[in-house]
Amino acid sequence: MSATSRSKAATRERVESWTGKSVPRKEDGRLVQGEGSFIDDLGMHGQGYAWFVRSPYAHARIVSVDPSAALALEGVYAVLTGEEAREMCVVPFFQIAPGDGARIEEWPLAVDKVRYQGDAVAVVLADSRDTARDAAELVEVEYEPLAVVVDGVEAVEHAAPVLHEKAGTNVAWHGVYDYGDIDFALEHADHVIKIDRLHFHRFSSTPLECNGAVVDWDKGSGVIDVKSNIQMPMFAAMVIGPSLGVAMNKFSFSSRDIGGAFGNKIAFYPQIAALALLSKKAGRPAKWTEYRTEHMLSSTHGNERTFLDIEVPVMADGTILGVKARAVDDVGAYLHYEPLGAVIWSQVLTGCYKFKNVKIDFTTALTNKCPVAPNRGYSRMQQLWMLERVIDIVAHELDFDPVALRKLNFVQPEDYPYQTPNGCVYDSGNLPLSLDMALELADVDTWRRRQSEMGTGTGKRIGIGIGSTLDSGTNNFGQARIVNPDLPFSGNGEAAFAKLDLYGEVNINLGTTPQGQSHETTSAQVAADILNMSPNDVTVTIGFDQSHNSFVGFSGTYASQFAVTGLGAVMGATAKLRDEILEVGAFALGAPKDDLELRDGACLVKGDPSRSIPFIGIANLIYTNNAVLPSELSSKIDLNCRYVYVPPFEVPDVERKMGNLTLTYASQIHVCVVEVDEETGVVEILSYVAVDDCGKRINPQIVEGQVHGAVGLGIGAALYEAFEYDEDGQLQEPSFYEYHAGTAMDIPDIRTGNIESPSPFTPNGAKGMGEGGGAAVHTICSALQDALGKDGAVVFDSHNPWERVYQLLQSSQGDEPRGVRVISREGGAA
Amino acid sequence: MLLKSVNYVRPESVTEALDILSSNEGAAPLAGGQSLTNVLKHRVASVDLLVDISALSELRAITRAGDGSLEVGACVTYDEIDHSPDVRAGHVILAREASHIEDQQIRNRGTIGGNCCLSDPTNNLPPLLVALDATMNIRAVGGTRHVAAEDFFKGYFLTALEPGELLVSITIPPIPVGGGAGYVSLSVATDSKTIVRAAARVRVDGVIEEVRVVLARVASVPIRHHAMEEALRGVAPTAELVRAAAELIGSDVEPISDGHGSSEYRREMARVVARRAVLAAIEEGGRK
Repeated sequence: MSATSRSKAATRERVESWTGKSVPRKEDGRLVQGEGSFIDDLGMHGQGYAWFVRSPYAHARIVSVDPSAALALEGVYAVLTGEEAREMCVVPFFQIAPGDGARIEEWPLAVDKVRYQGDAVAVVLADSRDTARDAAELVEVEYEPLAVVVDGVEAVEHAAPVLHEKAGTNVAWHGVYDYGDIDFALEHADHVIKIDRLHFHRFSSTPLECNGAVVDWDKGSGVIDVKSNIQMPMFAAMVIGPSLGVAMNKFSFSSRDIGGAFGNKIAFYPQIAALALLSKKAGRPAKWTEYRTEHMLSSTHGNERTFLDIEVPVMADGTILGVKARAVDDVGAYLHYEPLGAVIWSQVLTGCYKFKNVKIDFTTALTNKCPVAPNRGYSRMQQLWMLERVIDIVAHELDFDPVALRKLNFVQPEDYPYQTPNGCVYDSGNLPLSLDMALELADVDTWRRRQSEMGTGTGKRIGIGIGSTLDSGTNNFGQARIVNPDLPFSGNGEAAFAKLDLYGEVNINLGTTPQGQSHETTSAQVAADILNMSPNDVTVTIGFDQSHNSFVGFSGTYASQFAVTGLGAVMGATAKLRDEILEVGAFALGAPKDDLELRDGACLVKGDPSRSIPFIGIANLIYTNNAVLPSELSSKIDLNCRYVYVPPFEVPDVERKMGNLTLTYASQIHVCVVEVDEETGVVEILSYVAVDDCGKRINPQIVEGQVHGAVGLGIGAALYEAFEYDEDGQLQEPSFYEYHAGTAMDIPDIRTGNIESPSPFTPNGAKGMGEGGGAAVHTICSALQDALGKDGAVVFDSHNPWERVYQLLQSSQGDEPRGVRVISREGGAA
Repeated sequence: MLLKSVNYVRPESVTEALDILSSNEGAAPLAGGQSLTNVLKHRVASVDLLVDISALSELRAITRAGDGSLEVGACVTYDEIDHSPDVRAGHVILAREASHIEDQQIRNRGTIGGNCCLSDPTNNLPPLLVALDATMNIRAVGGTRHVAAEDFFKGYFLTALEPGELLVSITIPPIPVGGGAGYVSLSVATDSKTIVRAAARVRVDGVIEEVRVVLARVASVPIRHHAMEEALRGVAPTAELVRAAAELIGSDVEPISDGHGSSEYRREMARVVARRAVLAAIEEGGRK
């Protein structure tokens, strides 16, 4: 393999520090040659193929499920219905929600009722995928359709059909986040901007690889072997374990390469539970590879959030005093990972800004739509988008320069570490400098000139947009208690092993589930620096494996944290290993430990390279030649070093909803220039710049790759991608025919810039940065707002396909209600 | 199975293909398979016998006649159209449109005949062929008949083809001296699904002498907008007059609403793309 041959050459390269270099990815040799091991590549002996029978109705009573015709088909092994699954379960799935939400009953398959189009009522196992599909068509399900609710606000504020009778309400969670004194600020501000409604739409990251699993419930051992591409396996085990009536040590979750996940692959545990039961019933492993339309209908969508009655107090100089709003989060038909979204947004309560008074009345609403689950920028990008819309609308309505207004209200470089009104601590950064860098890279002065030169009658308009956003990383899971005080969660962590193997090989092993974040490469870089050797000689075992890896309950890959938690664990474990190697070396070389150093896979006496012992010699002494060692050494050292990185967190104050909810805050400042065709609403991106500050970069090229991905997702969401339901709850975009995910043809060249403000709170100065805070969504909306010009319409939705842009342009010309009012007190300059 | 079990035959000649098609009720011709395979995969059509005509040399020729008219065999692929010197010599607009249908893999297999016979209202080529006044050459066991493209497309997935008939080639007349053709699509994103499109062909000799304006995605089939054509005939080819003519596209057009655009938006955009297509055609004519 070429990567290997390259590695031999690179071994001789001497580098001051591997950390911070764009080391070529160790993963690439395997992945670009089609030699990755993805879920559909895996199988088990004697496996059958599963196909789910899914509801065509958004809300209906299940009158009967008759599998007899399916079972009569040759090659069909078994059919599992919802009712049978319930009988095989001990209790419904564990719910995070307290109160009414806790009474929601979810089983592996729908029982009595279906609650969204795509809800699974049965699952078939057969000798081939095609037979299973044919058989699924033969399962006769009789439905009695019920009234449907597809709008979150309607679901909770009007007489709407209730999805879960046992909960008795569509309100899955409600709470008020109240800091400072927003009413005082509203009374005393020079201006109050009132915005009736802002809507953050539903979309997803649509990973290239859909969900999949091979599940075997082994009769002899009682172990449920789950090979899958789920990205937070222990969370799945926690939710479904009690339901299936099995202990944690009866699960064996494992994963290999994952073809994109973005949070979307956290929550397909109902499917895994159903496959486990199906396997138990059929007495053979069940393999399921999700179809694209199945993925779009019934996997996961991102949170859709409506902000109502937004009020913003602003002083005459542009100082923003706070924000008051109601937020209704539409999470679909079941609570998958929800209602954690009801607190996670508050990690970025005030975004990049310094205001102190905030009151958000937050409701999690159930609707007859696909359940949501984390999606890159989970729950925070909705809040950040709202705040960026607020900033631009304030600038637009009160005639402030959007750049100056941002700079005035930004958290300033000297404020760090900065504590937000709800007790979060922004670790480091330089937002004004990042903004200046972005404006300069985009050559905004030239574009502003062109914008003003572009007279009316050309049919074109230029818009310049700014998106200032934060990527909060490394969750304090204690925030779950703000949602439900009874949850025994807090803190975070990740575990790693560093070992020296029998022939002196260095091996790093950890329980994360990388999906493109290059854990093999970056783990090898930081370990190589500690052991003073080439990263090419460090083997990193990737993929979660419950029976082999070391892990903690939070292990996985999500929420922008690997650079801190994962690498923190790798660094800790490798430092322990280094110490053990030196201790054995001291014995072998007859020199004090302090006089030794490690270099290129050997331990040697400083200044006397003739006195050295290679790693294979060290390993030999511990593994196969231990009688030569004094017992105090052989009993103490095993060259297998485990370390759990634990970030410094405290349990939040649940009553006041206060606490340090995340450890790091990377920032992204994006600037873009768009050209809008007035006749059609078509938007062309003329220039796009992303400036990232994620502290110390472990591998700049990998950071850049993550930035590109986040920009692509955001542009797609802002202009093309939406999951919309009609009034009957039918998804309008169930395939890539209707759902246009942005492609290379749509995404412009991206100019990137970087500032490094190292985090004082992390072991390596790095901050998590993969999610990107939805910056591109904010930026495109901001540019559209700018293009609409003074007295123009307000960009009220995060999704702006050509038709909506066209409508905004049309409504600019009239004086119909714009959904925004400015109330100015006497003496305040308007 | 992914595809339900189906019989397959590969005839040696068009005559043999026609024999098979006319004597088997459940038979369907298979050309590039870029639509039919998907239809079968989704199980929305039942076909018992696939008659693979893709390799028949009689259906794969492109010929340019002395008068400049072009005859394109039904099984010529988009990629072959794109790279044909004969097409590019006088009908560059056809090559241009064929060059960006979906992706390269599809262009390697998808055929002009398939694009027309499916009569999917989103397909690229039907409106262009109507605008270019093409003739569809159809053979059956009993003989050959010729149908104007304008009369060929009958509805959603419906054409003038009778059972047992096969579209064998398409004849496109030369674009007249002083004339040009224009084709404008409004698509989702850069070049994704079409919201609405228009194709036009004009001949200008001081004033607009001849004009054909065709709208697509506003009805189940490409439609000529006769009122707009009427308004353009005999007038000077100016932007103002073309704009005024396009304003005639009104309530006579009743497009569908779907996830890619509402009916109202499609109607308004039909005016824009129709005007732009006519202006592009005028401009092309002026360059010659």
